[in-house]
Amino acid sequence: MPERPVLRLLRRRLLQLIPLLIGVVVVNFCLIHAAPGSFLDVMTSDNQVTDPALIARLRTTYGLDDPLWLQLLKYIAAVAHLDLGFSYRQNMPVFDAILAHLPATLILMLSGLGLAVLVGVTAGIIAAVKIDTIWDSIVSVLAVVFFATPSFWLGIMLTVLFAVKLRWLPVGDMTTLGADGGTLAQLLDVLRHLVLPALSLGLFYAAIYARVMRSSMLEVFRLDFVRTARAKGLSAARVTLAHVVRNALLPVVTMLGLQMGTVLAGSVVIETVFAWPGIGTLLFDAVSTRDYPMVLGIMVLGSLMVVAANLAIDLCYLWLDPRIEVG
Amino acid sequence: MIPLTRRDFALGLGAGIAAARFGTARAATTPRRGGTLIATWGGLEPQALFVPAGGGSSPLLTSSKMLERLARMNFDFTFSPALATSWSISPDHTEYTLELRPNVTWHDGQPFGAEDVVFSVAEYWSPISSGEAWKQLDGVEAKGPLTVHIRFKRPVPEFYFFSALTSQGGAVLPKHVYAGRDIITNPANNQVIGTGPWKFDKWVRGSHIELVRNEHYWNPTLPYLDRLIFRYLRSPAERAAAMEAGEIQLGVFNTLSPPDTKRLAATGKFDVTTKGYENAQWASTIEMNTRNPIFAKREVRQALLYAIDKKFIAETIFYGFAKPAVGPIGSSNTMFFSPDMPHYPFDPKKAAAMLDAAGYPRKANGKRFSANLLAAGWFEVNGNIGSYVKQCLNDIGIDVNLTVPDRPTSIKRIYTDYDYDIALSNWANPAEPVPSTTQYYTTSGIIKGAAFRNATGFSDKAMDALVDKLTFEVDPAKRKLLARDFARLVMTEVPISPLVEIESVTVANKRVHNHSDSPDYMADSWGDLWLEA
Repeated sequence: MPERPVLRLLRRRLLQLIPLLIGVVVVNFCLIHAAPGSFLDVMTSDNQVTDPALIARLRTTYGLDDPLWLQLLKYIAAVAHLDLGFSYRQNMPVFDAILAHLPATLILMLSGLGLAVLVGVTAGIIAAVKIDTIWDSIVSVLAVVFFATPSFWLGIMLTVLFAVKLRWLPVGDMTTLGADGGTLAQLLDVLRHLVLPALSLGLFYAAIYARVMRSSMLEVFRLDFVRTARAKGLSAARVTLAHVVRNALLPVVTMLGLQMGTVLAGSVVIETVFAWPGIGTLLFDAVSTRDYPMVLGIMVLGSLMVVAANLAIDLCYLWLDPRIEVG
Repeated sequence: MIPLTRRDFALGLGAGIAAARFGTARAATTPRRGGTLIATWGGLEPQALFVPAGGGSSPLLTSSKMLERLARMNFDFTFSPALATSWSISPDHTEYTLELRPNVTWHDGQPFGAEDVVFSVAEYWSPISSGEAWKQLDGVEAKGPLTVHIRFKRPVPEFYFFSALTSQGGAVLPKHVYAGRDIITNPANNQVIGTGPWKFDKWVRGSHIELVRNEHYWNPTLPYLDRLIFRYLRSPAERAAAMEAGEIQLGVFNTLSPPDTKRLAATGKFDVTTKGYENAQWASTIEMNTRNPIFAKREVRQALLYAIDKKFIAETIFYGFAKPAVGPIGSSNTMFFSPDMPHYPFDPKKAAAMLDAAGYPRKANGKRFSANLLAAGWFEVNGNIGSYVKQCLNDIGIDVNLTVPDRPTSIKRIYTDYDYDIALSNWANPAEPVPSTTQYYTTSGIIKGAAFRNATGFSDKAMDALVDKLTFEVDPAKRKLLARDFARLVMTEVPISPLVEIESVTVANKRVHNHSDSPDYMADSWGDLWLEA
């Protein structure tokens, strides 16, 4: 009995994940250790540890006496057991620290991407349907502006306008510090805090999706099946939404998959700008303090997220166009 | 009332800052109870709530609100009671007896007493937090439930002793929490139990730390606020926005960039003050590695100081929030500061002549020698100073290779590998020069891998002998003269010397009262802070 396409896809992706993760660990492990200075230097200076015996004990405790290749092998073995190590900086297991920060990053990433897809696709549809009108020009100009604007700068400008001048929205963080309230109040509070970071992250991608969607729509409009649909007497709106948009979405979905890694990287910047307590903040701190286990743990997690996102994209392909072969 | 300094006028803040200064000291009306104050500082989130061995300013800022010291330093460098209410000193200054405050409880309800202090001295201060200061400890014992007797092998000056008690490493720890477990790695360091006006509530990593009022604080009128929150924002621009939007009310230790500090001061809505840092004088320093035969020559080290315009660094690179340094003991240290020092005014011609005389004339390519200049990357401004110093040294024929490594690399290269010829670094010196300042110059201060000590390799018998005298001289007047001699010798030898004294700044919303009211305000308990409605 032939294997169902979805299961085949899942099996292939999981098999591909193993060498990918090993590659990510090896490359990042080597890169981090190539940088001068170690977390022990930061740790001993932060704690003003000067006793040579204590420093030697710490080296042994953290396995720094082992040759690098042995440290790498031990780390790979630990990761295989879902042990990402212990973060001296956070004073807790890496896995726990990542789990504590992950929800904030996912909220930001999904909001940013959701906003990007919603705004970008809508703008692209409008530009394509109203081609060579003022609407098309507005979408094109805004797309160029947001594509050319660095996210961190946009974030700062939005903060100055909406938080400092107008005082409509908070400057940063995920919740209002010191505020009390029920679940609904807290949810609304997080949403208020989410607006500016999500806009800063999402508008750049919205600009890309608008351009891609517009081009894709114009191409699909010229295809035979659209002419057939019109000949059947379907309304213009129905032709556009039910036939053209669905087919034109494929390039956007492809881009979504390709950009998951960059969205994660982008969220690192945005989290830093808005003091959003997610993985980005954690990574920034880990890199600057040579918290190797944390950096590696986040890299592994990032790879997993990109793989999972691409798997979701492949599943979307199957849904959008069942003719597509998996493999 | 806080006097206006020359720098304030140089800043051009005029009436705005004057109003701000007066605002800081303005006669507050009756303190208002309740409310939440959100504070921040010009650095990162701490690595732990309390770092027993020090850990820098960030953990000190948080832990000092929960853990208290036995005494409190005043602006005139006298001492007031805190957990100790009175003390007596033997005539030969080898014995100190402390009477402790009664009816004090730890945050977990356990009573505070002499055993806690004995434990802190024997197990924490002496071996971990301030070992150099307690090197002469001979013994400590409880003479009663609230009496502690401390003996030293050699005389210990009174100011030295009380500086150690009020120092960053002088927190009193609860014996019942720490005894029998490693203090450095104790989980209690992230669940601090102290006697202070603030109790730990929660820490949202990457965001903020919340403290709540200690209902059972020994001073029943304090704290006035219900809650104190430390919020951590990475960039000065974000902090400026948050302060301007009213989301943060108090920013200590250079929370904002100099231009933003000036801008906010000009709005009249903020108090801007340099008060509260008298016992932590920051400076930008230049250190020269005497392991390199070129920099082993005193004349070369002195020549380099003539080549650098300290005034330019203060006024241009620091926007006026600094002033040329006079010596290793900062000018805010009225206890030991002396202006009568060898000094090195900007004179590139003299610098060039001194290098000629030292045996390093310009070669055919116009260069005298090459040097690796390391600007420590823990402060961004160090990179700017590095670029300027590179230019200065190029002008007198020194070929400079400038690097600005990040914090871990800087620490490793300066203090472990000694991999530099010239380093641009920083120090923060308290009023008592022993050992914090002296350990940059003594032979015993050379400890490979130990940060913020003698990394230059400078070793001089005269210096060691002078520091030894300074350490044990109990007559305050004689001690002041010895400190002056020490500073003069430093400014003659200049293995490491300050370029400029950095002015630390606090910015507070005008609603905030009673801030900046001690000479090491970051490490103060902040129990008397209150917020106007």
